[in-house]
Amino acid sequence: MIRGLWIGLGLAVVAAAAMLLAGANPLLGFWALFRGALGGERQISETLVQTTSLLFPSLAVAFAFRAGLFNIGAEGQLVIGGLAAGVIGARLDTSGLISIPILLVAGAAGGAVWGSIAGILRARFGGNEVIATLMLNIIAALLANYLVVGPLHSPGAAGAETAELPHSSWLPTLLPDTRLTVALLIALALAFVLRWVFDRTVFGYELRAAGDAPEAARRAGIDLAKTAFVAMALSGAMAGLGGATIVTGVLHRFNVSLSPGYGFIAIAVALVGDLDPLKIIIASFAFGILQSGALTMQALAHVPKDVVSFVEGLAIVALAARRFVAGRKQMTAVAQE
Amino acid sequence: MSAFQDFVVLSLVKAAPLIYAALAGVICERAGILNIALEGQLTVGAFAAVAASFATGNPVVGLLAGVAAGALVGLLLGFAATRFGVDQIVAGTGINLLALGGAAFGLTVVFGQPGASAEVPALGVSGERIMVIGAFVAAILLHLALYRTPWGLRTRASGENPRAVHSAGIDPRNVRLIATVVGGALAGLGGVYLSLAELDLYSDGMTAGRGFIALAAVIFGRWTPIGATGAALGFGALAALQFVLQRSGVPSEFMQALPYLAALAALTGIAGRARAPQADGVPYAEV
Amino acid sequence: MLGREPRRGAELDRAAARAEVEKLSREYGLAVDPDDVVETLPVGIAQRVELLRELAREPAVLILDEPTAVLAPAEIDALFATVRALALRGTAVLIITHKLQEVVAHTSRITVMRAGKVVARLETAQTNVDAIARAMVGGELPELAARMETTPHPALAVRGLGAGESSLAVRDASFEVRGGEIVGVAGVEGNGQSALADAIAGVISYRGTIALGGITLPAGEPARRIARGIRTIPQDRRREALVLPWSIVENAALGDQRSPSLRRGATVDRKAARELAKRIVEGFDVRTPSVDTSVSELSGGNQQKVVVGRALAHDPKFLLVYQPTRGIDVGAAALVQSRLIEARNAGVAVLLISFELDEVLALSDRVIVMYRGAIVGTFERGSIDRARIGSLMAGAGLQTGPVVESA
Repeated sequence: MIRGLWIGLGLAVVAAAAMLLAGANPLLGFWALFRGALGGERQISETLVQTTSLLFPSLAVAFAFRAGLFNIGAEGQLVIGGLAAGVIGARLDTSGLISIPILLVAGAAGGAVWGSIAGILRARFGGNEVIATLMLNIIAALLANYLVVGPLHSPGAAGAETAELPHSSWLPTLLPDTRLTVALLIALALAFVLRWVFDRTVFGYELRAAGDAPEAARRAGIDLAKTAFVAMALSGAMAGLGGATIVTGVLHRFNVSLSPGYGFIAIAVALVGDLDPLKIIIASFAFGILQSGALTMQALAHVPKDVVSFVEGLAIVALAARRFVAGRKQMTAVAQE
Repeated sequence: MSAFQDFVVLSLVKAAPLIYAALAGVICERAGILNIALEGQLTVGAFAAVAASFATGNPVVGLLAGVAAGALVGLLLGFAATRFGVDQIVAGTGINLLALGGAAFGLTVVFGQPGASAEVPALGVSGERIMVIGAFVAAILLHLALYRTPWGLRTRASGENPRAVHSAGIDPRNVRLIATVVGGALAGLGGVYLSLAELDLYSDGMTAGRGFIALAAVIFGRWTPIGATGAALGFGALAALQFVLQRSGVPSEFMQALPYLAALAALTGIAGRARAPQADGVPYAEV
Repeated sequence: MLGREPRRGAELDRAAARAEVEKLSREYGLAVDPDDVVETLPVGIAQRVELLRELAREPAVLILDEPTAVLAPAEIDALFATVRALALRGTAVLIITHKLQEVVAHTSRITVMRAGKVVARLETAQTNVDAIARAMVGGELPELAARMETTPHPALAVRGLGAGESSLAVRDASFEVRGGEIVGVAGVEGNGQSALADAIAGVISYRGTIALGGITLPAGEPARRIARGIRTIPQDRRREALVLPWSIVENAALGDQRSPSLRRGATVDRKAARELAKRIVEGFDVRTPSVDTSVSELSGGNQQKVVVGRALAHDPKFLLVYQPTRGIDVGAAALVQSRLIEARNAGVAVLLISFELDEVLALSDRVIVMYRGAIVGTFERGSIDRARIGSLMAGAGLQTGPVVESA
């Protein structure tokens, strides 16, 4: 905890240095960042929108981590989920009570399928899921691009995106005239459900055992291959659901650039949140502030918003110290006793 | 020149940066560091080269800057992995984010505009040729170094059993650190090629996932320098093929996706279940 | 040559290194083939390579950590001959071991440690095994539980079992373990015991059949085995039996998390798990501040007690025990061994695999000897011949065929 604060301080110093380098005033930069994120009702709602978009993939990454798997592919799973929701949504025109659940389920299903590919490679062939998910990210982007411009092109759409969804399929907003939707509530509910799954259920117990001590889990009758597959599929589903909420709630269409790297930032969020769903809620909010304040910081203080991704990357490196995902090959090479 | 000759030349051109990055991957993984940050190293190498060339007007300075930048990132990864016990996968991912953001940030700071830099003094056609040949020379040198020199022996040992290395009186963490720095320098060279040899500028995202293709080449090439070079050549040919087939009905996205699909296939063991170095990705902690 | 590589210019001088290996090999009588890949060598020979590497550095001080764990009796003698010669030449040799017989036979001075502190310094010539053992325990050694009369009934039947790879495989093993008896597997480490254990535990594939109570078990399904009443105490408790970061409570449920006694629908019955943990802690004298303590904070002996307690908690029909007292203090070892005897008295079928010949001989009703994956001898308790067993462990049985000695 204290170490985390020190690291936060260090990152702030680095950010300030970067701002100076850009010829901007760091104090103005920070002020603009927070003003842009929290300065008013609209700003806070935007921050919460970013929080929601981060929360889904972060929970996904944390879920996989707990099972001992590195899901670096949340970005791709998010895209495929959004793609599914967007493509179906552009063609589906019916009451929101029917269409919205369909689209969200489609998003989760798309993400689940995408995650399962890596899951199968790991479960059946023992293939490293890090490489698999990395490759699948890029394949997802290419696939989405191809489908949306080509075969699944919706009439009336321009460029690498689908047509706009009918208003009935838009997620209901929580605050009028903002982009903040019930997606936030869904994400929060998901976090609580995951916490319960980890702490109380047999399924969560076996998942954690597979992640924390795979050999012991195997001998205790836990099917590691099946667990890996299910974990990757569910993780993908969560990220895909996130993509679907962006499509139905924020953009109201699918666009290949729907994510500014949420799937990667999610790794930082999951780590900052100690892989605990409830702490991840808070971490998502913190990073949401960074994401939504960055644009204001750029506009008002002339600090390039890329400094945010720079700092986020640095945060990942700094915070992962000793963050062993125990049980994986990543155990220390020191044999005890 | 015939179309076939064109194709071969284009393959070599496309393969060169992959070879540099793949060799970097081989060194790191043989030493026991799973280097996910190749993409980031290519990025900083490419950007630093352009920035330095812009500042000094000399592309060779740019080349050196690119190498240094890659080496520096390698140092960061190596330190994080060996001294601070940071998980290598996570560190690599962080470095990629950091590099991308840093380079984009740098674009605005140095060139005053986002997206792409101005055109800068570059290495030209002769420079490009030298770098392509250099890639193969580097492959041969690495092969010799890994299998014929004491350094190579210790590096390979650190990737298989760091404890044994330590008990022989050598600190495997230092061996790994050197490996990531040398690897970083090589990857930086690959980045330099992208920005100063093939082109004469830097643009956002120009590395386009090559760092990840290089990882696939390492697996296909069974973690050997010659094998990885061969695999990188194959991927370069695929990229050149995409060019050729542009006019045919095959969607460009499919061609672009081929190397990644091939990497997925490699994971199923089609390329032979060759063993990665046993301590690959496993941090070594002193008692 | 790692660390002191002979060079020719910038290159490795492989020829010089090879010559050195051959010279040392002759000098110390440690036969090795310089071109062998270490990964493929049996453990005993790999150890020779280790030794050669250290001797090549002409050490002033040589430290050996449990050097004879993987050696047959004859090889142990050869090793100590080498070490003696070394000592006579002026090298200081420090051996860390728990094998008291060897300590008494081959050393000049002894230091006894307990819980990180030195508790005794002895001159070998003036002490004996009992005195050392007492110093290690800090008092009298606890008595082993008494063996009682049992009427053995058929339990586990193994027929034609083949599993594992190359030199570590088990081949065509057939034997029975009956309820109410302890069958001990004697052998030097690396002769197929792990393959045998893993096959019975269901974590690797195998040829042949394993049947419990007449019903053949499906290959490779640990869950089914647990459901049928098979419990294992694995060789490596830290990796294979316990989830180190978890508490005793959570570890107590491992293996039985799906059984009705520990489950309520989709959730884990925490109260039941807690009570189970308390029973284990009390019944097995586990020294811990509470059942919520992480097992990583327990000593090796207490960790093992948790593992054993858990294995016995659900009245198993068959118990596979692999190196039950490895790396634990003498007091905990005695308790574990006593509990195994008590289980046997109560009718459990116990298969004990151990590299400590003394342990096997002390606990078993029947001893089977393994060498290179095959069973080369069977001895009933009444006709145990230690010398015979030792020579079978080293390979004597291959010429004459399996030996069976009944009471």
